[in-house]
Amino acid sequence: MNALNNGIKVSVRKGVVDMLPLSLAVLPWGILFGSIAVQRGFSWIEAQMFSAIIFGGAVQIVTVELIADNASLLTVLFTAFVISSRHFLYGLSLREKLSSKPLRWRLGLGFLLTDELFALSGHRRAFQGKLRLIYGLAAGGSFYLAWNLWTFIGIVAGASLPDLTELGLDFAIAATFIALVVPEIKTLPTLAAVITAAVFSLIFSLWEFELGLILAALLAMCAGFTVQNLRRAA
Amino acid sequence: MTILTILLLACITFGTRYLFLEGRLPVRMGSNLKLFLSYSGPAVLTAITMPILFVHKNQLDTALDNPYLWGALAAIAAAYKTANIYWTVGLGMLVFVGVSSQIL
Repeated sequence: MNALNNGIKVSVRKGVVDMLPLSLAVLPWGILFGSIAVQRGFSWIEAQMFSAIIFGGAVQIVTVELIADNASLLTVLFTAFVISSRHFLYGLSLREKLSSKPLRWRLGLGFLLTDELFALSGHRRAFQGKLRLIYGLAAGGSFYLAWNLWTFIGIVAGASLPDLTELGLDFAIAATFIALVVPEIKTLPTLAAVITAAVFSLIFSLWEFELGLILAALLAMCAGFTVQNLRRAA
Repeated sequence: MTILTILLLACITFGTRYLFLEGRLPVRMGSNLKLFLSYSGPAVLTAITMPILFVHKNQLDTALDNPYLWGALAAIAAAYKTANIYWTVGLGMLVFVGVSSQIL
C-alpha cells in the first residue's frame, strides 16, 4: 500500500514537473486572453468560463474577438471547429491506448487533451497502467490549473500589465518540443516526417493559413508513411 | 446569450478531443492507419515548433542574431546528447536568454 502511494506521488510530481515549462510558457497568453475578454466587454465570470470549460488558447482568443465584433453564431462556431480540428488527430493517435479505459478516465483525459498533453503522450506505453494514467492526469490537470490562474490574473490585472507575449517565453514551448522530438528521430521515415513538417509549417505560417498546422502535420505523416513503405518494398 | 455561446464552444473543443477516444465509434485501426498515425507526434510537434522559432511578425526570421535559432541549436544538441527533457529545456533557455540579452 505504501509502495503504491509512493508510486502515485512520484507519478503526480513527474507529471506536474514535465508540464511545468509549458504551464509557465503560456502565462503571457493566459493573461492576454483574460485582459482582452474584459476589455471587450465580457463579465469576469464569462471570461473565466472560457478558460474553465472551453480550455483552448487559440480558440478562446479568436472567438472572444469574433463575439465582441458581433459575428454570427455560425461564424464563431465554425471558426472554433476549424481551429479545433487538430484534436481529431490527437484522439485518433491515442485511440488504441485510451479507448478501452473506463469512461471517467476517457472523459477526464479527453477534456484535458491539449497540444501540451498530447506532446507528453508520445511514449510507447503512455497511459498504460494506473501510474501512467495518473501521470497524464497530473500533467494535464496542472496545465489546466495554470491556464485558469493566468486567465484570472489577466482578468484582474490585465490592463495594468505590459504585453508579455513578446518576452520570448514561447521559446520554452519550442525547447520542450525539441526535447520530445529529437530522441524520436531514429529512423529515416521519422526524419522525413520531421523535415516535411518543418518546411510546410513555415510556408503555411507565412501564408497565415488557419489550417496550416494540421495540414503540415498530415503531409509530414504521409512522408513518413511513404518512405517506410518504399523501404519495405526495396 | 453569451453563456450559451460559451457552452456551445465548449462542446466543440471537448467533442473534437473526445470523439476518437470513444470505443463504440466504429473506426477500424488497420495496420496502414496505425503506421500513418505513428508519425503524428513528431509531425505535430515539429509543425508547432518551427513557426515559433522562425516566423516573427509574420516574416521569416533566419537572421544570425535570432535568439530562437541559437537556443534551438543548443536544445537540439542537448536533446541529442542527453535525451533528457530538463537538460534540453535548461540549456536551450540559457542560450536563448544569453543571446536575447546580448550576453553571449
